[in-house]
Amino acid sequence: MSTVLGRRETISAFMRSFLIQGSWNYHTMLGSGFAFSMLPALEKLYGSEPEAMEASLERHLEHFNAHPYLAGVALGAALRLESEGADPETVRRFKLAVRAPLGSLGDGLVWAAWLPGTSVLALALYWLGLPGWWAALVFLLVYNFGHIALRYWGFRVGLSEGRMVGRRLEQANLVMWTARLKAVVTVLLGILVGALLAGSNGLAGAGIVWVVLATCAFLAGLLVGHHAWRPAAATVVAVIGILAALGVLT
Amino acid sequence: MEIVQLSLLGGLLALDGTSVGQFMVSRPLIAGLAVGWVLGDPVLGVAVGAILELYLLVSFPTGGSRFPEGATATVVAVSAAVVADSPAGLPLAVAVGLVWGQLAGFSVTLMRQLNSRVVPEPGRGHPGAGGIVTAHLGAVAMDFARGAVVTLLGVLAGRAVVGAVHGPWALSPADSVGLLLVGGSASMGILLRDLGGFRKRKTLFVAGMALGILGARFL
Repeated sequence: MSTVLGRRETISAFMRSFLIQGSWNYHTMLGSGFAFSMLPALEKLYGSEPEAMEASLERHLEHFNAHPYLAGVALGAALRLESEGADPETVRRFKLAVRAPLGSLGDGLVWAAWLPGTSVLALALYWLGLPGWWAALVFLLVYNFGHIALRYWGFRVGLSEGRMVGRRLEQANLVMWTARLKAVVTVLLGILVGALLAGSNGLAGAGIVWVVLATCAFLAGLLVGHHAWRPAAATVVAVIGILAALGVLT
Repeated sequence: MEIVQLSLLGGLLALDGTSVGQFMVSRPLIAGLAVGWVLGDPVLGVAVGAILELYLLVSFPTGGSRFPEGATATVVAVSAAVVADSPAGLPLAVAVGLVWGQLAGFSVTLMRQLNSRVVPEPGRGHPGAGGIVTAHLGAVAMDFARGAVVTLLGVLAGRAVVGAVHGPWALSPADSVGLLLVGGSASMGILLRDLGGFRKRKTLFVAGMALGILGARFL
């Protein structure tokens, strides 16, 4: 990759990328986290030129947003561009161009498929009778295998491809992997629903009334989507509160 | 001492939510196990964590969105469930956790607004490398402090609520679980919709459900 940046700076940038959301805010979003992650490399590149250093800090403090696990793609590529001496406008335009795709690809793959998938897997194992700590361990190991692999792959791709990173992202076909993953998550969700319906520590043990009510809540979620979440949770909290108040009063 | 331990744990878990790593140790299932372990009842911790995980299946720490904070909610819920001495303990603890998760989510929004004022940005002076590091790590430390304080207040409030309920509870333990699972079922419906909806996914979903029923019967 670079003739200037060493292993130390690139490893440091990768490790710092785990803190990229540390100062998330509504103005620059990941901007200051991005600059924080770039710092060791920028100090190596521009340490002896205060004005150039200040200018590079300014451009990397600018508004930036992406999925945190895929922000490494932009980070690696920006490191490469800076080390190659790309002009500031190119770096700025590159970051502007990749932030939306890195956000939507990551949201689809991680937040909409990988996280719920591994979570549903762990819950299904728990309600099928696996000891709770085993289910928790399975979740942590499986989730973070994918998590860290994705971060590492993204950073490597960014470093090796620089501004041509879009081509590699296209070849990787993350959209197809997301679709396949969602199919697997659907099966896992079915298993969880089946385990909750038939398991003695689930709805089967609670009785038919609860099965019917849970089915209604499931259908409400299926039909209404995320708008059903708060009313469902609030109803349960209200019923618990009323029952508790009745218990106190009697 | 236990309160201090729980607050620090809440602060650490809150960091994982967004600011540091996102290894998902902040998810309710893991947080429940951790808090239960600290309080000497990991089985109860996992039970509370699994129910809250079900509720928060469709709640993700996406950058700009406001979401219930599962980590602090779970610390509060488990710490309340552990001290409960009535059958109402589990459902009350989960209810307190759900309410506290919303309040904690609001505190995340406030902290991000505060970050907007204090973190360096172009055109706002020349912070230099040291200024960027100080502001960034300062924001991380502030998130930890926020998580710890929110957890501390939640544990005190949760235990006060659960401790105040000594009367009879109308539901059996199985019915209480049934009631809690009704709310969680809405999340599963939402997730199926997010995955493509029943019409598109019916074969896979029904096949999975059959496997789940068989597994619950025979495992």
